[in-house]
Amino acid sequence: MIKIGLKGNKTVYAFPRTKKGTKNKIQWKENVVAYTFLGPALLLLLLFLIIPAIMSVYYAFTDYYLLTPDIRKFVGLDNFINLFKDPIFLKSLANTLKFVVWVIPLQIGAALGLALLLNKQRKANTFFKVAYFSPVVMSLVVISVLWLYLLNPNEGIINNVLTYFGISAQPFLTSPKQAMFTIVFVSAWQGAGFQMLIFLAGLQNIPGDVYEAAQLDGMNKWQRFVYITLPLLKPTSIFIFITTLIGAFKLLVQPMVMTQGGPVNSTMTVVYYIYQTGFTDRMVGYASSIALLFGTIIGLVTLVQRKLVKEEDD
Amino acid sequence: MNSIKAFLPSFHPSDWFISYKQVLSRFHLLGYIINSLFYGLCVAAGSVIINGMAGYAFAKLNFNGKRVLFGLLLALLIVPLETILISQFTIVHKLGLVDTRLAVILPALAGAFNIYLFRNFFMAIPAEIIESAKLDGANTWQIFLRIMLPMSKPAVATVGTLAFIGSWNDYIWPLMVLTDKSKFPIQVAITAINSTEPVYTNQVMAVLTISTIPLILIYIVAQRYILEGIGGSGTGIK
Repeated sequence: MIKIGLKGNKTVYAFPRTKKGTKNKIQWKENVVAYTFLGPALLLLLLFLIIPAIMSVYYAFTDYYLLTPDIRKFVGLDNFINLFKDPIFLKSLANTLKFVVWVIPLQIGAALGLALLLNKQRKANTFFKVAYFSPVVMSLVVISVLWLYLLNPNEGIINNVLTYFGISAQPFLTSPKQAMFTIVFVSAWQGAGFQMLIFLAGLQNIPGDVYEAAQLDGMNKWQRFVYITLPLLKPTSIFIFITTLIGAFKLLVQPMVMTQGGPVNSTMTVVYYIYQTGFTDRMVGYASSIALLFGTIIGLVTLVQRKLVKEEDD
Repeated sequence: MNSIKAFLPSFHPSDWFISYKQVLSRFHLLGYIINSLFYGLCVAAGSVIINGMAGYAFAKLNFNGKRVLFGLLLALLIVPLETILISQFTIVHKLGLVDTRLAVILPALAGAFNIYLFRNFFMAIPAEIIESAKLDGANTWQIFLRIMLPMSKPAVATVGTLAFIGSWNDYIWPLMVLTDKSKFPIQVAITAINSTEPVYTNQVMAVLTISTIPLILIYIVAQRYILEGIGGSGTGIK
């Protein structure tokens, strides 16, 4: 029905209702059309997202073991109690937290540094943007294999360069002490380019006259950075901080390809452990309890992030 | 490795592609690339159509249950996909899809974020245009194909490209659902090639290069649209 005007207090329609029920019929028709358009997406989301999520929650309280025939018994909180007695799970949790704590300052620091450099230098900007951004587009597998060769203890280029400068060759991925830090470095190297672009957009939104005014007031470079750039970059920084946090929690491919969680479980992460227990060992119930515990934490962080972004918008 | 010469390319251009020739003859690389292209194109085209249709319904159609479904959609954005991998696999297992190409494609098609992105782009299209198309006798399907999609090129390019890149780069999921080597995408093949003795560094590097070239090409072509799509205001990401 299309409104064409008002007569007194009544709305006048171009196609007035003739009978009772016409409105319902129109609404019914729109519903059919709308659900036809929604149908494929709803069906796929239901099958591969909603049902798996619900199943994960249910399996978390069972001892489901994937095999023919399937074994499944409700065990209550047993899985969760066992989790906190499982040394490999505790190790994977500690490793994941270690990764998060190391990668965040390194990656965000590098991204901000590169953005500040590129914001000043106008010449050759596009080249450096593309150069820093290209690792972001490359797959984690390609990057992991590539670094595997660069970091090779005997023939790798990095150790060749180190020994040239008189530093003894490092074991990198084969040492329990260095392996996680090496993965931190590779991950930061890959992810920094994307964040650099976001920081760059944030920097270019800061009006130039603010800096000019500050310069007239006698502020030096460092003061301008601390009192103007950093506060004005706050919304961008919050967004980058939380998305890096969420991404870091989900670390999986790099340790899987580069170290298989070793040496001595020093690079086993929580998501990799979910994959191993659930897929390789087929202990779906146990894996689901880890996934539920961990998924809840990541979900809550994501929720906080969405709230913060919304507030910045308002 | 002891002289700078080791890092420089040969003076004979005919030497440049020896590694590529060797690796192509040793492995069914072409097959893996065709697999990856097939999965990527199916996922990209499917994502645009399926998520676009849903986005259109949320943006421009009135239906019962819209608010509830939209709330659900926003809630789905929070579910970390990595933690439901195992249950997704049991679903695919129960559907009897393990080791089929469909198992690689289907779960990657619908995405809450892509629906949300399309919906935001479609919201910006004025109602007058749709009304006049309706008066000219266009049905909802025609409006979607002839007006909504062409008017939202940045959204189509963003979703299509990101879906292709995501599918091309995906490793865990195809590794889980496929056992038949002839269906492997290039990413899964890379780790297999890297562990097939004897491993020649030059051949592995050739494979890595081959698998990266399509991404660089796509990125160069679609870069402007992607930045517009991701960085533009009103899309929900910043």
